[in-house]
Amino acid sequence: MRDLIKALLGKLVVLMCFPGMLVLAASGTEEFLVANSEPGASGGKLVVAERSEPKTLNPVTALDGPSRDVIRRMTADLIRINRNTQRTEAALAKSWTVSPDKRTYTLKLRRGIRFSDGHTFDASDVVFSFQVYLDEKVHSVQRDLLMIDGKPLIVTKLDPYTVRFDLPKAYAAAERLFDSIAMLPRHLLEIPYKEGKLASAWGLDVAADQIAGLGPFRLKEYVAGQRMVLERNPYYWKIDSKRTRLPYLQQIVYIFVPSEDAQVLRFEVGETDILNRMSAENFSVLEKDQQVRGFKLFDLGPGLEYNFLLFNLNDDTAGRLPEIAGHEVWFRDQKFRQAVSTAIDRNAIVKLVYQGRAVSLASQVTPGNKLWRNDALPKPQYSLANARALLRTAGFRWRPDGTLIDAAGQPVSFSILVSASNAQRKQMATLIQADLKQLGITVQVVPMEFRAQLDRILQTHDYDAAIMALGSGDADPTAEMNVWLSTGSTHLWHLGQKQPATNWEAEIDRLMQAQESETDSQKRKREYDQVQEIVATQLPIICLVSPNILVGAKARLTNFEPAILDHYTLWNADELYWRP
Amino acid sequence: MRFLLHRAAQGAFVLIAISIVGFLLLHIAPGEFFSEIRLNPQIAPATVDALRVQYGLDRSLPAQYGLWLRSALRGDFGFSFAYNRPVSSLLWPRVRNTLLLNTVALTAAWLFALVLGAWAAAHPKGWADRLSAVLTSTMLVVPDLMFALALLMVAVRTRRFPAGGMLGLEAAEHSLWSQAQDFSEHLFLPVLTIVLGVFPILYRHVRSSLAEALASPFVQAARGYGLGRNQILFRQAFPAAANPLISLFGLSFGLLLSASLLVEVVFSWPGLGPMLLESILARDVYVIVGVVLLSAVLVIIGNLFADVLLYWNDPRIRAEWQ
Amino acid sequence: MRVSRAIVLPLMFLLFLHLIVLVAGFVTPYNAATQFREDPFAPPSRVHFFDVNGRFHLRPFVYDWTSGVEFAKYVEDRNRAFPIRFFVTGNAYSVAGLFRWNLHLFGVDEPAHLFLLGSDGYGRDQFSRFLFGGQISLFAGLLAAFLSLSLGLLLGAAAGYHGGALDAALMRTTEIFAALPWLYLLLALRAVLPLGFDPAPTFLLIIAVIGIVGWSRPARLVRGIVLSAKEHNYVLAARGFGATELYLLRRHVLPQTRGVVLTQATILIPQYILAEVTLSFLGLGVAEPMASWGNMLSALQQYSILTSYWWMIVPGFLLVPIFLSYYILARSFESRVESSSY
Repeated sequence: MRDLIKALLGKLVVLMCFPGMLVLAASGTEEFLVANSEPGASGGKLVVAERSEPKTLNPVTALDGPSRDVIRRMTADLIRINRNTQRTEAALAKSWTVSPDKRTYTLKLRRGIRFSDGHTFDASDVVFSFQVYLDEKVHSVQRDLLMIDGKPLIVTKLDPYTVRFDLPKAYAAAERLFDSIAMLPRHLLEIPYKEGKLASAWGLDVAADQIAGLGPFRLKEYVAGQRMVLERNPYYWKIDSKRTRLPYLQQIVYIFVPSEDAQVLRFEVGETDILNRMSAENFSVLEKDQQVRGFKLFDLGPGLEYNFLLFNLNDDTAGRLPEIAGHEVWFRDQKFRQAVSTAIDRNAIVKLVYQGRAVSLASQVTPGNKLWRNDALPKPQYSLANARALLRTAGFRWRPDGTLIDAAGQPVSFSILVSASNAQRKQMATLIQADLKQLGITVQVVPMEFRAQLDRILQTHDYDAAIMALGSGDADPTAEMNVWLSTGSTHLWHLGQKQPATNWEAEIDRLMQAQESETDSQKRKREYDQVQEIVATQLPIICLVSPNILVGAKARLTNFEPAILDHYTLWNADELYWRP
Repeated sequence: MRFLLHRAAQGAFVLIAISIVGFLLLHIAPGEFFSEIRLNPQIAPATVDALRVQYGLDRSLPAQYGLWLRSALRGDFGFSFAYNRPVSSLLWPRVRNTLLLNTVALTAAWLFALVLGAWAAAHPKGWADRLSAVLTSTMLVVPDLMFALALLMVAVRTRRFPAGGMLGLEAAEHSLWSQAQDFSEHLFLPVLTIVLGVFPILYRHVRSSLAEALASPFVQAARGYGLGRNQILFRQAFPAAANPLISLFGLSFGLLLSASLLVEVVFSWPGLGPMLLESILARDVYVIVGVVLLSAVLVIIGNLFADVLLYWNDPRIRAEWQ
Repeated sequence: MRVSRAIVLPLMFLLFLHLIVLVAGFVTPYNAATQFREDPFAPPSRVHFFDVNGRFHLRPFVYDWTSGVEFAKYVEDRNRAFPIRFFVTGNAYSVAGLFRWNLHLFGVDEPAHLFLLGSDGYGRDQFSRFLFGGQISLFAGLLAAFLSLSLGLLLGAAAGYHGGALDAALMRTTEIFAALPWLYLLLALRAVLPLGFDPAPTFLLIIAVIGIVGWSRPARLVRGIVLSAKEHNYVLAARGFGATELYLLRRHVLPQTRGVVLTQATILIPQYILAEVTLSFLGLGVAEPMASWGNMLSALQQYSILTSYWWMIVPGFLLVPIFLSYYILARSFESRVESSSY
């Protein structure tokens, strides 16, 4: 009897302390981030369609889009880029200080944070994560992000909640580096790492209790080829202004729908809740049904992507590919490039290819890049008369039948290589083909399988011209260093330069390197503005258009804040909720 | 028995030949799996090169083939670059779903073709014959993808059928009977699409060979003897007409994995189709070789089956073979 | 030769079709490439006989399509009527590659356009593209089918007739051909061809390759028939009488394959014409701005086009009578033979 009373008493004590412990937990030990979005109601699930299934859940080795999409819902970074403002803000790091020489960043981590399996998070996880990413033998693609001028960051743990990062030189975009570096759980991955098996960890067959992260969701279930289900992370470190722990959604269900048209149909009928990027044609079809079917469509304006016409300016084609080398004589003439640029009817591209949902471009920075766009650049002109004048001053003439011939009497004719699987770029090529016919230039459109096209452009340089697109990385200019630096690996028009081949490329080199370490943000903007001016006049690439980002979501989904940076719709998945 | 052993040996030879030729074909085209990430300005070429070495892509072709062969004998059948896993682990879950879909579809197509073809052959120039001629001409003109999309639109607009997938999201929580119902609802439209692609071919051959058999002298003689129409059809005409149909049947068997590729993509059916399409576009070569070999096994078995049936059906062939 | 009444209609239709396709330049108001960028996805021009006041005109006329801000929404501009004129001068075209001419059967004055079947996404006339497309597609389809059938007949007959090792070798080869992903061969072929290669020969090369590669199904079917046919009593008897193998093949065995070969022909021709739908997905189709039936139909594989622009489906429907005619002709050949083969 006394034992019974003792036992009951004991339970009573525990029961009374329980709320106390909760209060303690909520107020004292965990340092939450308070989200400033509208507070909402918990519950419900979100069904999202992905074009293909993720290939791995390993943040260190994931290469493809769907994998990274899913991984980002399950992981968190020290500092993140707010997709709306395009600026950095605190995440796992609650604050940080920068040394006067801008080479040292000291980050203070939030205390009391736990991984999705309940294990605590502290600076040793941070040090471990960076060690893994920077390890040469692991071959993580994030490693290249953390190398500045060929030297890695140095990461030091100062105390369990403070980490210091030493950069090899002052780096303007340093804070932005942290955005795609997910923090890894040392308690789960240290052993595979030491055994050299990290790359094969966290594949699709991983058990739900063997994977953990700091993101708003964690893995619940995966059915091959059909769906992946994420459930709410009960230890997530963000709360709303009413002190409710985020996320509101209980589950995110990813279903795999390979065909875009099928995705549109399923969204239309309500089987999926979000449509993450659709083509302009599908947008028009869905537009009519908006009210009836209970969803809303958003045209967010141009994203970061820029489509361009690229001429082959490589000099290693001389002996190997005589016909192409012959064509390059025309391409190297700036006036020729300017003539081609001004003969292209960009408005027709915007109207016919994107049904008006795109913007024509003068240089590589789109209007969607609010922080870096050079607004002083004049809009591209469409004038056949100007084009002809330019060609005339460059020494070209016309035969009686209208064919354009160069100073040596050769008719001007070349091919444009285009990816066979991208319908929009094929259409652009067809329009440009007709435009250049007006100048007497015969253009052959050659659709080619994407990787074969890349091989020609990046490796063999066996092409005349091509239509490509870049720019889905970050808004910051440093993301594209390798495109604009003459020694860069994606300096597409002229690869493998040891010295800048032209004066203006040398000038771009100087400006890009200056802006990389420039600490004065006004000066930095001016430097990159100048780069854009040079690109717009010298035309190493002829920028064409940037398509608008088009998304859709059910009307009842609240706090939906689509942005033009990836991930367009789910970047704030932790704040989404269903209005009751 | 000796016959079967002979054919098994030949089959193994064919499989090896297919793996070699397929391997060669896949490597002739310039470009490879890692070409795409070379375009990313934020990834250094050194990292890409290191990844290539990790997957053995820097080795010579014969060396790569040798590695693959060893892996095949171990049961892995190579490594997928995209999934970072052995190919065989990727194939098995999806093969079942594709086989289910195609078996139902091809069986349905054959049944319809046999019944309608026999009817048309027995009543030439009748309304069924003429209608089928127009219908099959129409079916041959319609691109598969367009038809699948049109059916999907119908599903969505009428809400009678699900808009894709194999099972509903909450299926597992319900009874076995409602799961079966759910499954057949999801199965209907993809099966219909495949049938519409395959039916015209089967129908035309059935009709053509049956009509030929029904017009032949011995059938006319049988009619002369007063044998009933059905008896003539089944006992006399069918066996005579069966020859090309048996060959076609063997070929159909070989289609059990490949007939549904496009349909699976449009209807998000979780079979081999979407994975194969992605692998083709991404140059994930070992996955492609794995699927090709699986298909090849079915082709070989189908032809073997057809040969056995040919010999069984036509005593004259049997005589010569002996 | 007895010509049964049943085949007169399809035969005439096919002859007519091939004729107008041959002189497509004359019959169509525009060529396949001209883009009227103000009129993307314009519906078929409405041909009127009665004007706004209700008066009847013997010469039919059309109104110009005008559109507002919204993409591809058109209304007729009733202010000005454009009569359809016959024997007008227009784009130059070449007749059978021999000489150039610019007379067209009918047309309307600028700025109106006569879109009998509407226009596509670039504002190109679908009717013109359909007829020009026939030039390529009909030829390509027939060529590829011919290659497949000849190879299939030759090799299948050889396999069935000789049996033994030759049969085994050939049939195993069909299995290899049936199983391999030929899409890859074609991809490799295109990627390896020089960029400057003319688009027309490139396409023909690709069609030829498809045709050659497609021999395995006809071969298996033929081989099955031959295996059985060569054992017929009259063949054995004829051999006993001293007939040569070649004679036996030609006179008794091969005619038995006619049914199968003809049926395969009626199936392969449309399949090869439509193969281009898949080919253009991988960049192996006909090059822009040339038209072909395959690339016109491939536009239909998009949801937005199926729902919004119904006239794009019409070229597909126009193909049905063509293939139906081929089928009826083939069947009449079969039935003629059936009664005379013994």
